[in-house]
Amino acid sequence: MAPRLSQSSQKQDRGYKSKPKTVKLGTPLISTQVQKYDPLTAFSLSQSGGDELAHGGMQKSPKGKGKERDVGYLSVSSPDTDDRLWAELPVHVRKVEDVRRWFHEAFEGGPLGKLRRYRRILVLTGQAGTAKTTTVRVLGREMNFNILEWGNSGSDDNVNDTSYDSYESAFTKFETFFNRATNCRNLLPLVEMSGATSSQQSQKAQNANSRHIVLLEDLPNILHSSTQARFHATLRCLVDRPPSDPPVPVVIIISDSRPRGEAYDEHGVYSRGRNGDGEGVIDIRTVIPRDLLGGPYVTNIGFNPIAPTLLRRALQTLLSTHSSNKDGQPSKEVLDVVVESANGDIRNAIMALQFAYTIGSRDGKSRKRKKGGNIPTSMLESITRREQSLVLFHLLGKVLYNKRKGDPLSSSTSAKDAQREKMQELLMEDPPSLPFWLKEHERRASKVDVDMLYGNSPIDSSLLSLYIHQNYTQFVDGLDECDRIVECLSWVDSSGGEVWYQANPYRFHILSMGTLHALPSPVTRRNQKFIKPQFFEYLENEKEAWDSVHDTRNWLAHSANKSLDNSWRTCSWSGMEVALELGGVLKALERCHGTSRPPRTHQRFSRMEFQSEQLTSQQLTEDDVDIEEASSQMNDMYSGHARGNEEISGQWLESDEIEEF
Amino acid sequence: MSLWVDQYRPRTLDDLHYHKELSTRLKSLASSGDFPHMLFYGPSGAGKKTRISCTLRQLFGPGVEKLKIDQRVFLSPSKRKLEINLVQSNYHVEITPSEAGNFDRVVIQELLKEIAQTQQVDLNAKQRFKVVIINEADSLSRDAQAALRRTMEKYMSNMRIILCANSTSRLIAPIKSRCLLIRVAAPSDDDMCDVLQYVAKRVGFDLPPDAADKVVEDSSGNMRKALLILEALKMQSPNLNGPLSIAKPDWEIYCHKVADLIISEQSPSRVMEVRGKMYELLSHCIPPTVILKTVAERVVDKVDESLKADIMHWAAFYELRMRNGNKKIYHLEAWVVKVMSLYKHFFYGIDMSDFD
Repeated sequence: MAPRLSQSSQKQDRGYKSKPKTVKLGTPLISTQVQKYDPLTAFSLSQSGGDELAHGGMQKSPKGKGKERDVGYLSVSSPDTDDRLWAELPVHVRKVEDVRRWFHEAFEGGPLGKLRRYRRILVLTGQAGTAKTTTVRVLGREMNFNILEWGNSGSDDNVNDTSYDSYESAFTKFETFFNRATNCRNLLPLVEMSGATSSQQSQKAQNANSRHIVLLEDLPNILHSSTQARFHATLRCLVDRPPSDPPVPVVIIISDSRPRGEAYDEHGVYSRGRNGDGEGVIDIRTVIPRDLLGGPYVTNIGFNPIAPTLLRRALQTLLSTHSSNKDGQPSKEVLDVVVESANGDIRNAIMALQFAYTIGSRDGKSRKRKKGGNIPTSMLESITRREQSLVLFHLLGKVLYNKRKGDPLSSSTSAKDAQREKMQELLMEDPPSLPFWLKEHERRASKVDVDMLYGNSPIDSSLLSLYIHQNYTQFVDGLDECDRIVECLSWVDSSGGEVWYQANPYRFHILSMGTLHALPSPVTRRNQKFIKPQFFEYLENEKEAWDSVHDTRNWLAHSANKSLDNSWRTCSWSGMEVALELGGVLKALERCHGTSRPPRTHQRFSRMEFQSEQLTSQQLTEDDVDIEEASSQMNDMYSGHARGNEEISGQWLESDEIEEF
Repeated sequence: MSLWVDQYRPRTLDDLHYHKELSTRLKSLASSGDFPHMLFYGPSGAGKKTRISCTLRQLFGPGVEKLKIDQRVFLSPSKRKLEINLVQSNYHVEITPSEAGNFDRVVIQELLKEIAQTQQVDLNAKQRFKVVIINEADSLSRDAQAALRRTMEKYMSNMRIILCANSTSRLIAPIKSRCLLIRVAAPSDDDMCDVLQYVAKRVGFDLPPDAADKVVEDSSGNMRKALLILEALKMQSPNLNGPLSIAKPDWEIYCHKVADLIISEQSPSRVMEVRGKMYELLSHCIPPTVILKTVAERVVDKVDESLKADIMHWAAFYELRMRNGNKKIYHLEAWVVKVMSLYKHFFYGIDMSDFD
């Protein structure tokens, strides 16, 4: 890493000497390169660009990952970036303000000048494509700081190298980068001053611009436990040091992903709080050590999926600035579809738009007059991933509408379809009649082919069971049917063991056939809407709550240790006892304003308000069935968490000041 | 600050307030030189852990109170790192294997092997063996219990195991037969009153007998709960005179309201509503078994005599399913639906007979 560092600083030197006033290196490099591209070649282009940059070790501004294209795309259209970008940045103003305030406090120290010490690490979370990185970059331009970014890609070349003695592990490289980037910033201005071209003015500009932040997005392999431990140690070490002058805040960007409802998800919850490495998921809890996450040095700001209105505005601005001729532009409907299908993911939206645009312009020549550049819907569907989500829709519909032979046809079926249905029904055999003691189980022949469903299913049985569980109550008429379905769910769930090879291999079949058997036939149509399982949301809450249970338990043991001369027997609280029995005392402690207060987070498990029913479940719409995407509630929760942290840090700050004065 | 429960916990067998006979037995057992593996069981808050620690002190002397908390790392078969907190002294180790989740077998095996293979080096030690305390033994998986069974015999020479569990029903028979079973019953109301008065005296305030009775009545034989309630009460109204209102924990009230929901209406939409509440309870770390138990008890209180047995039967049935399965909510809901349909059918039946 060392040679690389010097190399890159040389690079900077050269940059400074030739153009003392433009310090933003790298940006022109990208923006000149990307004039126009289509998605296919763009990717290969980006990779070569990425390598080029990666060899510089420390990268400046846009790194060459495919995703950064949006930034490129945006900035292509507007060379004088600042104002435009603000107009185009599709993030809620308040969210940006939050981030901006944080940076301000990190550099200036807030109103009292004290906050600098606590604004060390900023964690931006949110699902993919919510402009987390872009916000930081744009703020970087606005507030005039440079972004030092870590990229892992450089190490790949060394893997097959036989020279082991000179081999540096990827993490060592990261560590070196991190320490130098956060520590040794003072050197660069010095180098600059010794330069021949430095005048008073440029030096001033330089000073203003000697502000840097470190951006970590391409994290080291956190899932590997020892790497994770070292990463945590690095972060802790950073926090323990007093901030360097000028301060170098660290920004970590984490894209959320969501658990998939498999069997082990729930198991993970209980052991999670104690074992930091929980499941194979990168989220804020695995990246940031637990003690830091609750502490004052880490601020978490959650980004919500981009609102459709903002997204549409951003796309329109993009279109109007990008192309001057109106003819080739995608029509309004296309824009609608793109916005709708993007699901709050602006990267996705721009990609789709780009794709639509290229086709639109090509078609536009041949049938400009006829259709006005419209794209056939089939093409649109392939752009917008609709097809994949439809499969899940069909699957649920097939299972839950429970069509059987002889069902009355719905009024909307065309005559042709009705004919075909009839033919099919003729081919179907009736099941043999059951003896009278089994009469209650007699059903007409089902039109649902479970094997076919299994073959086409995009989800596994466990997720299917969650969807069925969430939705079945709308399709039943009475409690008896409820009973049969939920009994089937319960049986399937408890058959088989804890590990995959003990699991019952017929779960999918049992589940769908059991549901079909239990549902009334025909199912009454009452405008049923499919709803996403609430399971994940609550699972997430439960994880949080367990975390706070452990915090509280630690607090118990800790405060007891302080007051008593030994820790005899105080560690014997189990998590369950804390959750079940400590509520009253915690409440009382909170009220009486004693000297030692329990961690504020305890309310996550000790406070429960009984509210009469409000169904806030999210409806499953055709275009947001994407399984792995985090729900917006999760993000809300994260931002709530961040707010909590801020409060806490505020409190600690006060006590800190008392000490100092 | 420290909670009263922790601060005024008895240290020696002589200090214990109730179950005197048990204390004398433990005492003679500890001095007999032939100490068996033991299994303490009884309802929570009865004083199992306190008795275990007192026994240890009797065995090893005050040195056993010098505790340190270690964090040990175990590797699961899939090379996942498990961090387990161990509380240990020179003479004993205490673990809560349920912290390891599914991998409790690994932890148990590794730890026991390690301890069993090291002899006691301290020449002044009163006993030649070390003691391993396993908390929440009833949450051990079957694998882990099977692993334990072999080790218990093999390393008898320099290790003893003390298990602590709420009930023996979840332990496999071989383990039960290798241990000396010691039941720690819940204290009687008088015992609890005595303890409360003792604590009040130590803290330095007068506890009116009425208040003590009220606390005892509310804590249903759970000593820890009683002391926690007392402390919370004291914090809220320092003089403890006049009418006291002891607030139940939020989750309990919540459970009761869920039970009322179940009884007041039986329909698919009500099932959905109850499900939301169940989710809410689960996400507040209330163990599903406790939820099921609390709600079932409340429901049973309110329904006709002839339904009670059935409701409890199904509660037991789905509790077992819950232990075997993964997604607790299915089983909770299955029970709810079962109760609803039982209840509905019951009324339906009455209506019909009236009609005839």
